[in-house]
Amino acid sequence: MLSVEDLSYTYPGGTEAVRGIDFTIEKGEIFGFLGPSGAGKSTTQKVLIRLLRGFQGHVTVLGKPLNEWDDSYYEQVGVAFELPNHYQKLTATENLALFRSLYSGETHDPANLLEMVGLEEDADTRLSQFSKGMQMRLNFVRALLHKPDLLFLDEPTTGLDPVNGQKIKEIIRAQKEAGRTIFLTTHDMTVADQICDRVAFIIDGKITLIDSPRNLRLQHGERRVRVEFHRDGLSSPAQQAEFPLDGLGDNSEFLEVLRNNPIETIHTQEATLEDIFIETTGRTLT
Amino acid sequence: MIGTLVVKDIKLFVRNRFFLIVTALGLVLYPIIYFLIPDQVDESLGMAFYIEDRESALYQRLTDEPGDYVLFDTEAEMLTALQETGDYFVGLSLPADLSAAAARGEAVELNAYYAPGVPAEARQIFHDVLVLFANAVNPETLANLTRFNETEFVLGNDLMGAPLSLRDRFVPLFLVFIVMIEIFGLATLLNRDVENGTARALITGPLRLHQFFAGKALMGLILAFGQLLFLSAVMGVLGVSTLLLLTTLLLGSFLMVGTGFFVAALAKDNTSAMAWAIVFIIPMVIPSMTVLLPGLSTGWMEIIPSYYFVDSLHRILNFGAGWADVSRNLAMLLIGGAATLAIGTTAIRRKF
Repeated sequence: MLSVEDLSYTYPGGTEAVRGIDFTIEKGEIFGFLGPSGAGKSTTQKVLIRLLRGFQGHVTVLGKPLNEWDDSYYEQVGVAFELPNHYQKLTATENLALFRSLYSGETHDPANLLEMVGLEEDADTRLSQFSKGMQMRLNFVRALLHKPDLLFLDEPTTGLDPVNGQKIKEIIRAQKEAGRTIFLTTHDMTVADQICDRVAFIIDGKITLIDSPRNLRLQHGERRVRVEFHRDGLSSPAQQAEFPLDGLGDNSEFLEVLRNNPIETIHTQEATLEDIFIETTGRTLT
Repeated sequence: MIGTLVVKDIKLFVRNRFFLIVTALGLVLYPIIYFLIPDQVDESLGMAFYIEDRESALYQRLTDEPGDYVLFDTEAEMLTALQETGDYFVGLSLPADLSAAAARGEAVELNAYYAPGVPAEARQIFHDVLVLFANAVNPETLANLTRFNETEFVLGNDLMGAPLSLRDRFVPLFLVFIVMIEIFGLATLLNRDVENGTARALITGPLRLHQFFAGKALMGLILAFGQLLFLSAVMGVLGVSTLLLLTTLLLGSFLMVGTGFFVAALAKDNTSAMAWAIVFIIPMVIPSMTVLLPGLSTGWMEIIPSYYFVDSLHRILNFGAGWADVSRNLAMLLIGGAATLAIGTTAIRRKF
């Protein structure tokens, strides 16, 4: 679906934003592109959506080299930017109808898309009266308007409350189920962990790691379980104890804690994506 | 696609209260002002006289041969009329010993009272007339007056009897004003699309950047040309060399579009778009002032692209100029519009 080999991009001022990165994305995959601000995420996405030309390396999208695509490329890909960019004096329906009219292929009915993200009651409201979260939801569904095969989503859950954030994540999963491929740029490790099939860490224009969140957690986490319990009844202060995962069923100390004490929590100690990112890059995501 | 963009932009323009009010005000107020401005010119130069010696030959002559002058019985009456009626540009008080003193070759004391606002040139001309007059009433100098036969040539249209009224002079001014305001409108719309990221959203769809620019240029052209057409029709000037006038209005609109792109390229945000628009609009309006006050016209004004718009309109509407007369102006308008449009689009491209 998408193949990037030795991609580099240097801005006219001489700033080398992307330095020889390689990755592939399979059809129907949700690929997370993670990194802090200035790492090269946006530049890579701009190259892939053809806003930046003059890159070095080989990029193949939908079976054709990126340079050889004509304007029909944009009939195949959908882009949702990090910041909402709508016409504030137009209503939500008018905004979607405007963009819909530009596509030649089959498109969604704007009313259905608005309903999908809970904006049906605000369909005829001008965008100037929308909150940032509402604008973000509209931003997101606009990318789905023409039923593209490949979606580029930049921070799709930023500014959303947990309920709407969850709704967007479910729609993204549904798009994957429908066979669409998703390139997700984010610095939100939780979102990436929850919905991405694979993630790539990019820092200083270079990819440092690519794998599935599960594999990364398993490789980088500790194979231990942490138990919080009350030694002398529920009124006593909670205590913690850690036990190796291997042979846990035969660990008499662990079994004794379980049998004889009220248990507060039990957690395996796999690493979070953020922990792994910090461990492998030495940087935080802020 | 371009049509869709134009419709969208016109919708945005109409929904912008500021643009709408400014445009509507122009389209309503300019015609009202136009029809309030006098459409005729009073060519007479009224003079008031008080002649102390009623027995003099001059008094008898002025009484017998009525003209653009009025004889008053007292100097006070003359001064009152001069100040209050506005019908006279000068009042002359002639003393009783005028003829005798002139005959003796002595200096004659005259009081000339001018209405406020009479320019220095007119005063000088009247002074020269008075000198001639004084010589003409002096028998000694009268015999030695140089006589000559004068042949008059009028270069261009002879406006004697049909001078340009203030209303005629205002037509190019109104047309330039209404179109220049649209520089601000177009620059702001363009700048908003770039700054708010909507242009980027459009070009990451099937729309290409050149189509985006074409849509904006077409929208600017429609807005400007439409308003010029409306104003011309209301002021009743569309019948004057219609095709030539329409061509001039179209090229004037094109110059506005180019300038709008140029301003948008310079602007960082909407506030700076407004500031830059004002920086360009003020000099662009200056050439139209020379139609009202021809004495202001100087050669350097030709470096202002709107000069060619104003000059063409003035010549076509007020002097009946044809294609050959204004072809250079039209070419300059086309070049000015194309140059600013090219520079503007090139600069805006860098913002993506």
